[in-house]
Order: sequence, then C-alpha cells, then structure tokens
Amino acid sequence: MSSAPITLIDYDAGNLASLEGALDRLGLVYQRAATPDQAALSGPIVLPGVGHFEAAQRSLRERGWWRVLPTLVAEGRPLLGICLGLQLLAEGSEEAPKATGLGLIPGIVRRLGPGVKVPHMGWSQVRQHRPHPALPDPPHGGWLYFVHSYALEPTAETIFLADHGRPFSAIEARGTVMGFQPHPEKSGPAGLFLLKSALAWMGSATPDLEVPCN
Amino acid sequence: MPAKRIIPCLDVKNGRVVKGIQFKQLRDLGHPVELARRYDAEGADELVFLDIAASLENRGTREAWVREVARELSIPFTVGGGVSSVADARSLLRAGADKVGINTAASLRPALVTELADAFGRQCVVAAVDVKRDAALGWRVYLKGGTEPTDRSAMDWLWELTDLGAGEILLTSMDRDGTGDGFDVQLLEKAAALPIPLIASGGAGLEIHFLEALEHGADAVLAATLFHEGILPIPRLKAYLAQNDISIRI
Repeated sequence: MSSAPITLIDYDAGNLASLEGALDRLGLVYQRAATPDQAALSGPIVLPGVGHFEAAQRSLRERGWWRVLPTLVAEGRPLLGICLGLQLLAEGSEEAPKATGLGLIPGIVRRLGPGVKVPHMGWSQVRQHRPHPALPDPPHGGWLYFVHSYALEPTAETIFLADHGRPFSAIEARGTVMGFQPHPEKSGPAGLFLLKSALAWMGSATPDLEVPCN
Repeated sequence: MPAKRIIPCLDVKNGRVVKGIQFKQLRDLGHPVELARRYDAEGADELVFLDIAASLENRGTREAWVREVARELSIPFTVGGGVSSVADARSLLRAGADKVGINTAASLRPALVTELADAFGRQCVVAAVDVKRDAALGWRVYLKGGTEPTDRSAMDWLWELTDLGAGEILLTSMDRDGTGDGFDVQLLEKAAALPIPLIASGGAGLEIHFLEALEHGADAVLAATLFHEGILPIPRLKAYLAQNDISIRI
C-alpha cells in the first residue's frame, strides 16, 4: 500500500475520534485536513459526515472542498465517503431538494420509510449486489452499524445492498470513489475489515501524482 | 428490521466503572476503556455509560475517558448522567460519544429534548425513563435515579418524549431492577407501540428473560450485573437468542 497518509476531511460534520481510533487499530497513518491545502499530496481522502445534507455541503463549500473534490477525483485521487459522506457524493438528496450533490456516484438519496422506524439505527446485514475486487463479503455475517434517515437508491453499480423497509445502497464504488452508508468504525470486526480492504485498495490504486490541492 | 441489540450498562463514578453493592459501598471494576474493550471483544452491540456522580467539577475527567473510549471502541456508545443542556451534550458528542442519555433534565424541562434533536439529530438522543407500577397511573415516572416520584404516567410521557424528538427510549422497570425476575413484559408490550426504538432495562436474570423482552417488542435489552459478573457471557446469550430465531449479530 502507498505510504501516503490518509487525509481525513475535518469540517465539523463528523466524529473523527472514532474513525481515527479505527485507523490506529488498523495501523494506518492519517492526517486531518480542514482545508484542501492541508491534504496529503496523494493517498486516499476520507469524507466522513453526520448531520444535515445542506449544512454539511455549506461547510465543505466554505472550506474549499466542494470545488476541489471533483477535480481531485478526475485526476484519479481515491475518495471514500462515510454515512452522510456517501450521500454527499451522490447527485442529490431529498433532505435538501434545492442543493445538488457532488455527482461523483450516480443516484439520488431518498428518505427511508414509511412503514419502518426512522432513523434506521442499529445493525443490519449487507448483501452483495455486484462483485468488486476490493470488497469481498465481510466476515461475521456482514452485520454493519447504520444510523441514517435517508439512503441512496440502489443503481446497477451498487456493490452491497441493505434493507430497511426497502433495499438501499449500503456500499458504492465508481472508479476510485467509494461510499459506505454504514459506519465501518462502529461496526465491530466486519466494519474494520471493510475499512481496511477499501483503504488498502485505494492506497495501492493511488497514481503517484504531484497534484497541488487547489 | 435491524438486529436486536445486547447492551451492557456501566456505571461510572469519577472516571472509574463501579458496581454498587448496596447504595454506599461501591466496588471498583476498572477504567471505562478496559471494560469497553472487554465488551467489544465479547460481541456487545452497544454500550451505555451512566455517570452516576456527574457534576461540574468532574466534567473534564468525563470528557477524557469518553475520548479514550471512542478511540478504542468499535461499536457505538451512549453517555448519560447530568446532561441538562445542549452544551453538555455537545461536549460529550465532540469527545466521541455516539448518543447522549437524558432523564431528569428532560422531565424538568421537556424542551431540552427538542433542542438536542434539532442540534444533533434525534438519533443522538436517548431518553431514559424510570418507572414503577402504580394503581392510578399504570406505571408512574420517577426522577433522580428513582428517588423522586412525579405525577406523570409512563405511557403519556413516552409518547410526549417521542413527539419532542427523542430518538430512542431506555425504559427501566424499577419494580424489576435488581430482582433477576425478568423484564416487565406488560410494560414493554405497551411501550412497543412507540415509533422509535425501545431498550428494555431492569430484571434480567436468565437467558429466557432476554428472549421474552425481545418477543414482547423491545428492540434492545440492557443489563449490568449479569454481564459484569460473567454470570451470563454475551456470546452464550447471543447463541441462545439466535437459536430461538431472534435476529442478532453473532
């Protein structure tokens, strides 16, 4: 795997402590970056996120990430969105009908329900929809921890599905972009396995680019 | 439907996990991180930490252990005890807690529930409610660790909490707490009508009690002594529940 540290986007919309703890346990090197100029020059970028779609988007805009992320991805930089981070990668969300997403993965994020408890909070099993070289079936039955009220509609490109009233996308991948709806850092050994697999693949897939982050 | 959850509850005093043997004598069980690691490895689905001596003075201590637990734990955790403002909750969530538990403060000022839900999302707000059977009210709500009766009926209060923005209810039967006679399944059946997840607490003594609670509408079950003392190891409990067709993470 590439020796470049993992860049964690720090924009007041995510709980980085748990994610950093998980990366420590996996023996991976990371650095926080509040703005793009603090990002590592190569290696995976992780976009965590909890809270409201529009608030997160605003915060990413203010810090300069919103404009830069599509450019970095176009240059081949790996990007992993977690929870709301995945939703921000999509084309748009019912949570913020006027806002558009980054459009780095296809599909629209829609509210869960009716007929089920929302938020979907707890452990649900994922099932493979499309094989991906970096993401084999997770161990321990594929139970992962979810906390969300909105979910990405599955597309032909979805890697793993989960169900809460209806099937939704749990794990997405397109090129060097990946998205996890569950919290891998809160999902016990199965979550750590997936996080490690995704980041290892992203690290090895990193083109050795000297791209200034602006 | 997500899996049913098994939740050990840990009482914390001045940064140490304690177990009360009667009310005054507290036995030290270790640092929160040690217990968190153990339960994570045993397959607990979530942890609840209850700061039983929360005060302004020990806020710094609390943030420190919450931060350590967040870095070590690979499952979610709730911290409760003395949370009475958005600022209290924010400090815990910033330190890495996934959810905050509120009890007395919500009863004294119900708008707090809405403020927390608006600030952090309702999934972060666990409303803890202690109740006792009562001839007039069905079940009566008690405050301050069960020492102070209110005029509230438990069912009315649970629905009100839901409307205010609680994301989850932690419902303790004081009649059953510490008895080992089983959860109050009649209470759980009533509370299961709520549209938010229900954590059953109070009365666990045997494997079958957990099964009963989950079959009567609880989404999660909480216990302390049984797990702390190793009387019922979590892997054994989970295997038993899985054999009885409960959806559980093994």
